[in-house]
Amino acid sequence: MLLKIKNLNYLLLFLIILISFIGAAGLYSAAGGSYSPWASRHLTRLIVLLFLTIFIALIDIRLIYKYTYSIFFLSLLLLLSVELIGAIGKGATRWISIFGFNIQPSEIIKITIILSLAKYYNDLKFSEVKKILNLFLPFLILFIPFVLVAIQPDLGTAISILILGVFILFASGVRLWKFILGFATAIISIPLLLNFLKPYQKDRVISFLNPEADALGMGYQLIQSKIALGSGGISGKGFLEGTQAYLQYLPEKQTDFIFTLIGEEFGFIGTIFIIILFIMVISICYFISIKSIHIFGRILSIGVGTNLFIYVIMNISMVSGLMPVVGIPLPLISYGGSVMLAIMISIGLVLNAELNSNIKKLNNA
Amino acid sequence: MFYSEDKKQYSVLNRRSFFLYLLKISFFSIVGWRLYNIQIKDSEKYKTLSKNNQIDIEIIYPLRGKIFDTNKNILVSNKKVFDIYIIPEKTKNINQSLNQLSNIIKIDFSKKRKILKLSEKVKKFEKIKIFENINWENLEKIESKKLQIDGVFISQDYMRVYNYGNIFSHLLGYINKPSEKEIDLPFITNMPNLDIGKEGLEKSFNPLLIGKSGQREIEVNSYGRIIREISRIDSLKGKDLQITLDLRIQEYALNLLNSHRAGSIVLMNIENGHILCMASTPSYNPNKIIQKPNKDYWNSILENKLSPLTFRSVQGLYAPGSTFKMIVAIAALHYGVIDTDSKHFCNGKVALGDRLYHCWKNNGHGSMNVETAIKESCDVFFYEISKKIGIDKIAKVAKDFGLGKIYDLPISNQKKGIVPSKDWKKQKLGESWYPGETLISAIGQGFVLTNPLQLATMISIIASDGKNVLPKIIDDKKYINFEKIEKYKESISIIKKSMFKVVNEIKGTAFKSRSDEIVFSGKTGTSQVRRITVAERESDDFRKKEVEWKKRDHALFVGYMPANKPKYSISVVIEHGGSGASTAAPIAKQIFQFVNKLDS
Repeated sequence: MLLKIKNLNYLLLFLIILISFIGAAGLYSAAGGSYSPWASRHLTRLIVLLFLTIFIALIDIRLIYKYTYSIFFLSLLLLLSVELIGAIGKGATRWISIFGFNIQPSEIIKITIILSLAKYYNDLKFSEVKKILNLFLPFLILFIPFVLVAIQPDLGTAISILILGVFILFASGVRLWKFILGFATAIISIPLLLNFLKPYQKDRVISFLNPEADALGMGYQLIQSKIALGSGGISGKGFLEGTQAYLQYLPEKQTDFIFTLIGEEFGFIGTIFIIILFIMVISICYFISIKSIHIFGRILSIGVGTNLFIYVIMNISMVSGLMPVVGIPLPLISYGGSVMLAIMISIGLVLNAELNSNIKKLNNA
Repeated sequence: MFYSEDKKQYSVLNRRSFFLYLLKISFFSIVGWRLYNIQIKDSEKYKTLSKNNQIDIEIIYPLRGKIFDTNKNILVSNKKVFDIYIIPEKTKNINQSLNQLSNIIKIDFSKKRKILKLSEKVKKFEKIKIFENINWENLEKIESKKLQIDGVFISQDYMRVYNYGNIFSHLLGYINKPSEKEIDLPFITNMPNLDIGKEGLEKSFNPLLIGKSGQREIEVNSYGRIIREISRIDSLKGKDLQITLDLRIQEYALNLLNSHRAGSIVLMNIENGHILCMASTPSYNPNKIIQKPNKDYWNSILENKLSPLTFRSVQGLYAPGSTFKMIVAIAALHYGVIDTDSKHFCNGKVALGDRLYHCWKNNGHGSMNVETAIKESCDVFFYEISKKIGIDKIAKVAKDFGLGKIYDLPISNQKKGIVPSKDWKKQKLGESWYPGETLISAIGQGFVLTNPLQLATMISIIASDGKNVLPKIIDDKKYINFEKIEKYKESISIIKKSMFKVVNEIKGTAFKSRSDEIVFSGKTGTSQVRRITVAERESDDFRKKEVEWKKRDHALFVGYMPANKPKYSISVVIEHGGSGASTAAPIAKQIFQFVNKLDS
């Protein structure tokens, strides 16, 4: 145990804490120079979740491996219950309250998808990976959560689940032509999927696909977001000196648009610094993946790195106008407990995989 | 073989991992390049945009709801007017702008100070009203010089109009700027300039009448010119309010009251409790209160010794005098102290202990039973029966008939009055009850105090044979079935017979006010405002003498109409009006006749 603690990847933990601190600074500024309401809670969550991360890192990996599918079903059940509550209440809901915490099961399920696929390909002989029949289970693991999240509707998260799946399957050695085929079926199935939606769900999906219909005007939001970034210049206006957020341009300044606020106050240097920090975290995930002897650890680490990558790329592309606004937060920096919970759990898993990278084989026996 | 497959797997996975890693790095490069473009290459462009671009949030104030009478006559509405505003953010120096404006229309010192204080409190882009409802002459002057004074602009607004001036003043109240305490009220939310109800229904129904504010986000350039509207949420008009009062009756009643200095008339529909008229005089004109400057008018109201702000119908407390005798009689009949045949002889006075209690008729009424005692309003009869009932039973009956209570009405500051009892006296005054006080209470004097609405309610309960009628002033179209108090049924029928005789039989105290158009029942009351000295009483014609107004008795009349199938109940109180028979009863008759004409 003590040895395990000693061998933890402290660089990774340090990077996570540093990124979260930058987030807290951004939130402090977003509140007009105040710890409340966001920065203080952000930091409290970080401290609490750090314990969870280390706890997860120290669990026996065989235990995690053994209960992977059960955990997946549990998270699926959570997602389903949100769906049912939403259907009964007629209102869109992505949250479920557990022990007083508002948890977004769609964030949690990404982790359990990673785990399940890792276990699946760990158990599969490499020669079997090629067989098309063996794609059926991974397909279900991805498709069911995808549909459930899509009809919430949270298309941003649904798409990120899809991309995550594609990356993991690719990393697991699935043949390339199958991806092309899968992509084609996905396109065909969209209209079919729409038929199954209830009218109010359909409305929401359509209004998402056509954001111009939004009265507030996403285009306007984007212009303001770009002005915030651009007016920051190379070195920024200085901490707490940003004006765009103060003038209330951005309704999501503490969540999805926090990056623009940091960009305004810390400039290009600040934004690139954040990107470099995330690249470092992702690189560590890859490093651990390659180091790992068993496939479970390999795919788990790549999956976690990819999940993080998807958040970061989608969020920054969104606020810099490379992509439509779909409501993806910047992990560890945006305010929000669910994403932080998901990220901290997944970092714990990667740390665990590193500590157990030299185990030869993981199986059900 | 296994070994080689493993090896193959690792090499495939490593290759693919490396490829994915490169893919991710290239994605990051694209994002980095994008950020370089925005933050370094085009930075200057965005910097200017950031400086020039400004967003104003303009609050759209909601239109206050109207108030209607029961026949949908508009009592309160809103009129379009022009106001002068200042936006602190748009001025170079708010002081200078105010001074420039002051050269056109005078802004006095205290007002200027208030505006300056307010400008520090509200958001800097919030507009502050300087003048309201300016006339055309001033409007033109300001319009022509508008460009030289920065931050000042003219805006169209709505002004509250009380279409019938002082006819409904007490009930409706008026609106005004919120005080510092009121600024935190939930319905004001983000509208510091909102006029809110300060009195009456305008105050009680603020949340309903105000509606919801809207908001307009506008993008303006550095010169303050509006470039475009970004978003707009329209305000939500306040809800209208319909009251049960009838404009025609209210107007008529107030005209009758205007020949007296102070008084109240309450007319009630017995069947549903609807108040049809609740007139109180003296009154005030809310239009003069909301129109600035109103200082002189305010002072004239505050200096008026008759206190025009008092809503006498619910806030005025009067000794009910002989109108209280119905309660005493019902108590006596109900508790079996007397029956219809019980007689007492009135020789003009009753002795109790070492004190004499006088009947208003110095020579006495002779032999009286309950019916004749009410009809002729014999005090001695009631002195005698009250000794037997005791004050506590009288108090219980009085409360059952709506006295000593505050009704659940949206009128603030209703006065509860007093229904005295032994307990009450112990609690309030810390003294025990004296038997003589029961006698005084039995003729509605002493501690007993009621407001005119309570008297009308009492009559409604009597006239409806004991239905627990409750007054209502908001016409919400809901029908209420009033619960019937069965236990008083028999006593009430005797009292109703007596009240009929008061008006319709010779020797009845209101016989002179009988009507040939309608048949109504009632009871007069004359309540003393001071004690009559022995010397005065001994001078034969002390009642006929001209007494100073303030020392005169209050004149009361309560009644219902038609006598056989009661529909309306009334209470008339004329302060220092002399006697109920001579002053109050004729007014009741006129109101009943008027209402009868409206019905037919």
